[in-house]
Amino acid sequence: MTASNSQTLSALGLDVGTSRIVAAQRQDKDIQFDTQLNAFVNIPFSKLTQGVLKKERIPHLVQDAEITVYGDESERFANLFHKETRRPMLRGVLNPDEANSLTLVRQIVGLVMGEGEGQGRRVCFSVPAAPLGASEEVNEHESSLKTMLSKLGFDAHPISEGLAVVYGELEASNYTGIGISCGGGLCNVCLAYLSVPVFSFSIPKAGDFIDSSAAQLRGEPATRIRSIKEESFHFNGHFVNKIHQALSTYYDDVIQALVAALRDQFASVQNMPKLNRPIPLVLSGGSVMPPGFRDRFEKSLRETELPVAIAEVRMASNPMVSTARGALVAALSEL
Amino acid sequence: MRVPAFLLVLVSDSLRVFLNRQHYCSGSNTSLVTRMVWRRSLGWRAGWFSDPAGRLKFLRRSLRESPDLKAGSRREWVRPLRRISVVVITLLAALTHTDTTAMLPPGKPVSKPAGQVWLVQTTPQFDLYSNGLRIEEQYATFTEPRRYMAFARAQSDPIASGGEWRSVPAGIVYHTTESHWAPFEENQNRSLRQAGEGLLEYVRRRHSYHFVIDRFGRIFRVVRESDFANHAGNSVWADDIWIYINLNQSFFGVAFEARSKGSGGEPAVNAAQVYAGRVLTQMLRARYDIPATNCVAHAQVSVNPANYGVGYHLDWEANLPFAELGLADNYKLPLASVKLFGFEGDAAKIETGPSSMGEGLEASIAEIRKNAAAENLPVGRYRGKLQKRYRDAIRALRGKGAYQEYN
Repeated sequence: MTASNSQTLSALGLDVGTSRIVAAQRQDKDIQFDTQLNAFVNIPFSKLTQGVLKKERIPHLVQDAEITVYGDESERFANLFHKETRRPMLRGVLNPDEANSLTLVRQIVGLVMGEGEGQGRRVCFSVPAAPLGASEEVNEHESSLKTMLSKLGFDAHPISEGLAVVYGELEASNYTGIGISCGGGLCNVCLAYLSVPVFSFSIPKAGDFIDSSAAQLRGEPATRIRSIKEESFHFNGHFVNKIHQALSTYYDDVIQALVAALRDQFASVQNMPKLNRPIPLVLSGGSVMPPGFRDRFEKSLRETELPVAIAEVRMASNPMVSTARGALVAALSEL
Repeated sequence: MRVPAFLLVLVSDSLRVFLNRQHYCSGSNTSLVTRMVWRRSLGWRAGWFSDPAGRLKFLRRSLRESPDLKAGSRREWVRPLRRISVVVITLLAALTHTDTTAMLPPGKPVSKPAGQVWLVQTTPQFDLYSNGLRIEEQYATFTEPRRYMAFARAQSDPIASGGEWRSVPAGIVYHTTESHWAPFEENQNRSLRQAGEGLLEYVRRRHSYHFVIDRFGRIFRVVRESDFANHAGNSVWADDIWIYINLNQSFFGVAFEARSKGSGGEPAVNAAQVYAGRVLTQMLRARYDIPATNCVAHAQVSVNPANYGVGYHLDWEANLPFAELGLADNYKLPLASVKLFGFEGDAAKIETGPSSMGEGLEASIAEIRKNAAAENLPVGRYRGKLQKRYRDAIRALRGKGAYQEYN
């Protein structure tokens, strides 16, 4: 292995999202992605259960009188025990209501990044842009993750989630354009010009807001709503049931909030570069997956006056991993 | 001669800068062209890197040496060379006679100036604005994006010349909900809350307004701002530039949980509601550039096309506290429906006197008389002519699919 190859293999991109954690690393000319749910469930402790989990290699922690199953397996165990999964993160940052949030994130990061110490490998990890009025929370979150990754032996550098989407998807326009990541807790947005971020922001309306609002309206558990959303929801104007109708209502709310925030941000930004040709806009994240989302978003966008022309609104090549991919590109570019 | 696309775009940009000075009034043209040439060439050179990380690395490294960043530190001899290169490229372009129109980027749309009120925080539960306005979100719903046809008054015959499609909100119509009523007293808290919640559920289902101000002065979003709401029915208003017919699509609907005529002669709205109305009006006007004269009561705009009567709905026919809402007394404005389309007011039905739409009705009737005299027509015949104009307008709207039927 050459020194250059060794360096390439040593870089990592990490998307620390509210609902999923995704790691990206280069394997030859391809990029390999590892993903885990950023969730956990507590089940009652028994030696028998612990033994089975160990034997089946199911990731878990034993704390006090409980066993915490985390990552992808948490959903299966939640269904088995008729419980709701819990999240170590809330609205893009470590969940202040969960005492072990950082420990659990560390464990899940371990699952996607592989065993062993970081050994100085460079990792770029995603952090949300500050939502309006909540920059302190984001700073604390960023600092906690950086410390945690450094303790694991990584050379850790934060990257704004929206900028990571730009780096992951807008290579063809020399990293000029708007990257949007609609995840579980937040929608992150970044406008970049020749790779330099002009503005970044986030809004606290995203997938979880849609799930919980629709759940509240229809009197159903949020997990059921999420499952329906992921399996069968699509925007086509005809809704098979009231849950689909509610999902559509709250999706529209998110889209409207996003477009309004984008318009406001353009209005308030100073030193805007002269973007004298239309720029692309790319959509990524788990919440943009329902068929028809792109069209609905573009319709709202076209009805809003923006000071720049948008050349195209397109979906990311793989919306679930765009942020991790962009974080990897950023990490590799710094080697 | 085949010229690389990069070169053509670059040349076209250079020419544009030299020929179109008003876009580049700050700084010298030469330095702007230098920057542009540098950016273009940077983008072009970045294209040599097939590896995304390599391209990003190149861009980042190059930007550290950007002329934008280091203009002051450039060695002096670089500038003349760059200037010469730009002139040479420009000459080359003139010689190639190649049509580059298709490659020219579109003109930059004009940005609206930021308003005085801005969004401070948005959460799933509420939006908070810099003037203290807080909009509760739990009843928010949607209809379809706003789109309407307005008639331009600058045309000699605005109706015959055809309307223009627009999507910006043009004004605010104030309503009262005329809903279930409980005395505003401490021992009525439960009834007051229940009445408010029931009302909000009802108007949400019917998409009746954009905002409702409840009796505690809380502002609830009902239909979101980008969409139309079913609040105005058959209605007419006009400003100096446009004539608006049926205002569901063009105006915001703001409803006070109130009855226009309180049973004991008490004011229709309380101080908390008036304050809420004021900050909401302030935000909407700042955000959408709404002129004060387009902030009116429902009674002022409501019409009945079946009998050409004004004031089909009479909410806020009097005592809308314009001054407390930060507006001039718009009751004095002539009614557009009367002045432009010959609608008539029933004096027995409509409240007259100060702070009532009767003032505007009188003003518009005076204008009708004056205009009829100017055309040497009896008032009745002149009205008939205006009413025909209204029918023509409705026909025009129907023809373009811009008319919503009302019962």
